[in-house]
Amino acid sequence: MVLAVEQQLIFILEGVPYTLSISLISFLVGIVIGLPLAFIRSYEKDISFVVDWYEKIFRGVPEIVLLLLFFFGLGAFFPFPFYNAFFVSCLVLGLRSGANQSQIFRGAIHGVGDEQMIAGQSIGLSKWRGVWHIMIPQVFTFSTPGLGSEYALLIKDSAYVYVIGLLEIMTRANQVRINTTDMVAPFIFAAIVYIILTFPIAFWLDRWGNRRKKKIGL
Amino acid sequence: MTNYVMEAKNVYKTYCVKGEEKQDIKIVEAVKDVSLQIRKGDIKLIFGPSGSGKSTFLRCMAMLDIPDKGEIYLGDQCLTKPGVDLNKARARIGFVFQHIYLFRHLTALGNVELALRQVLRLPKEEARRRALDALAEVKVTECVSKYPSQMSGGQAQRVGIARALARNPDIILLDEPTSALDPELTGEVIDTLRDLAKEGTTMLIVSHEMPFAKEVAEEMIFYDEGRIIEIGPPSLFFNAPNTDRAKQFMTRIINKTTR
Amino acid sequence: MSFIIENAPLIFQGLSLTIEITLFGVFLGLVLGTILAIGDIYGGKVVKGAIAVYVEFFRGSPLFVQLFIAVYTIPAILHVQIDHLSLAFLLFGLNSAGYQKGYVKGAMQTVLDDQMAAGLSVGMSKVQTLRHVILPQAYRIVIPSWTNEFCSLTKSTSILAYIGFIDLTGAGNSIIRETYNVLPVWVVIGAIYLIWITAFAKLADIIYEKKKIPGVEFMMQ
Repeated sequence: MVLAVEQQLIFILEGVPYTLSISLISFLVGIVIGLPLAFIRSYEKDISFVVDWYEKIFRGVPEIVLLLLFFFGLGAFFPFPFYNAFFVSCLVLGLRSGANQSQIFRGAIHGVGDEQMIAGQSIGLSKWRGVWHIMIPQVFTFSTPGLGSEYALLIKDSAYVYVIGLLEIMTRANQVRINTTDMVAPFIFAAIVYIILTFPIAFWLDRWGNRRKKKIGL
Repeated sequence: MTNYVMEAKNVYKTYCVKGEEKQDIKIVEAVKDVSLQIRKGDIKLIFGPSGSGKSTFLRCMAMLDIPDKGEIYLGDQCLTKPGVDLNKARARIGFVFQHIYLFRHLTALGNVELALRQVLRLPKEEARRRALDALAEVKVTECVSKYPSQMSGGQAQRVGIARALARNPDIILLDEPTSALDPELTGEVIDTLRDLAKEGTTMLIVSHEMPFAKEVAEEMIFYDEGRIIEIGPPSLFFNAPNTDRAKQFMTRIINKTTR
Repeated sequence: MSFIIENAPLIFQGLSLTIEITLFGVFLGLVLGTILAIGDIYGGKVVKGAIAVYVEFFRGSPLFVQLFIAVYTIPAILHVQIDHLSLAFLLFGLNSAGYQKGYVKGAMQTVLDDQMAAGLSVGMSKVQTLRHVILPQAYRIVIPSWTNEFCSLTKSTSILAYIGFIDLTGAGNSIIRETYNVLPVWVVIGAIYLIWITAFAKLADIIYEKKKIPGVEFMMQ
């Protein structure tokens, strides 16, 4: 019986690389989407309504519905790439994260303040070069707590991909329950694994952000 | 049976201030063996350099900060004894804060009524009547339905005074009532305090409004570095203080105000 | 698109369940979150430690896993048969409380020091001050975070479909099983979620405008 329990737990643990890679890729996709959207929303008033709509859709529709829509819906018409669970997971969570991060970065842009951009323009930088050289580094410093919690959120939301059958932690835990009819161990173990994954990241990112803030005198 | 409305006996209070880094903890000895007696009708003013601990001492009198050592008496009742109902005691003390601290979510009327209803348990109509009276006494009837954010500093502080007065407390403690106000607004508050003094309200004020002190205070108390250095009537301090420290402080202050 | 009209009752049933559990969860979360916040501010080491464990569990693991624990693990441990719907409702409330504790505590602390001193100075007890002064202000300050929590909760109710309930997502799954019409169904279901969230946010805005107090919202950062 001991052997069986160990095998169970290892099986669940083998889902960790999937969970982490989905979260990481989605997070990076989120930055690539969210950062430009935040700046567009803050500095280009004419097209900022696009950002609003994007945020509304990808923060308003449940992740599960989006996953099912892309995987089963688009997957029927375009099996490549939409019938790939890993691809759809990263895509959907990335789009969602982009919407969240757009808000986070917008808050940070507001926190850094207009004076910085004005100072940049006063030394001759064009608007977008000012953004690149002056705003972005400071915006990242301001955003670290928000980004930390967004990353932790992605690790947790990766559990949603259960509905499209990807064998990450959650799906595996449920599989173990089905195979062994053990109602207790697999889920408790899975919960503990998730907690171990989410606890340090948010904590460290928060501290890193606070230290950098002190360094630049905030 | 004591003669005193309030008495402080050998009070000590120290507190820690956390600095920027974890290691920077400053220890401030705000109150070092301070004793003071206040009789009914007294109007005493505590003054001294900033950071000397005057506000902390005043808060200890009201038991808003608990002294580390020593005793505070409200009439015959010792407040520093364990097991005392501090809420009942504080209901008999009126306190006015430097930064006013009105209840932001209530109108001026609501601010004054709250304690009347919740502490004195007065019925609605009586609480309202008394609150309106208190507000009229400090001459802010025009603010009755306004929220704190809609008032000027001077109006807000007068509402604060009304709030402290409404329960007819045995004594009113005022912690730098005008320091946080713009100079043009201090006049209205000082006028209110002058009126209260005329009516015989027992007051203990921490302030450095020297003109007011000269006019209204019966006794002035010079407080520095946690201790009472010198006590005397205003004429003493404004003409010839006994101690050097008081002398230095008075010259600095008088130079500032007679510009 | 005719499937919408044909399946309207089912969609309506699903939407009702989604709305019910969202409202129940978010209000239970507020009440419980307030208790946790007060405990975290005034409690001793043991209480604070317990609250920290509670919050870490509910915020550190996915709601999906928590739901399965509630529905499969808890009845197994207690050797009792409890109906899954009640467990789900309770779980959403407990989970939301884990998040709302942080929001309420933060809101309370923006006003706590000065307003508590003021409350004590007029003779009120700590409890009276919390009830009449601190919480009324905190609940107004917390509104943006609270509406955020409401949106999060609404979206996460879709997991109910995977323990066999007909919520809005479950209704979608049902319709697809019948009609094999995948893409349009999810577009419509997604749109319904959006409409519900937008409508509620608008409603919250209106109520907030009516109940707001000049000076209290300026604290919201």
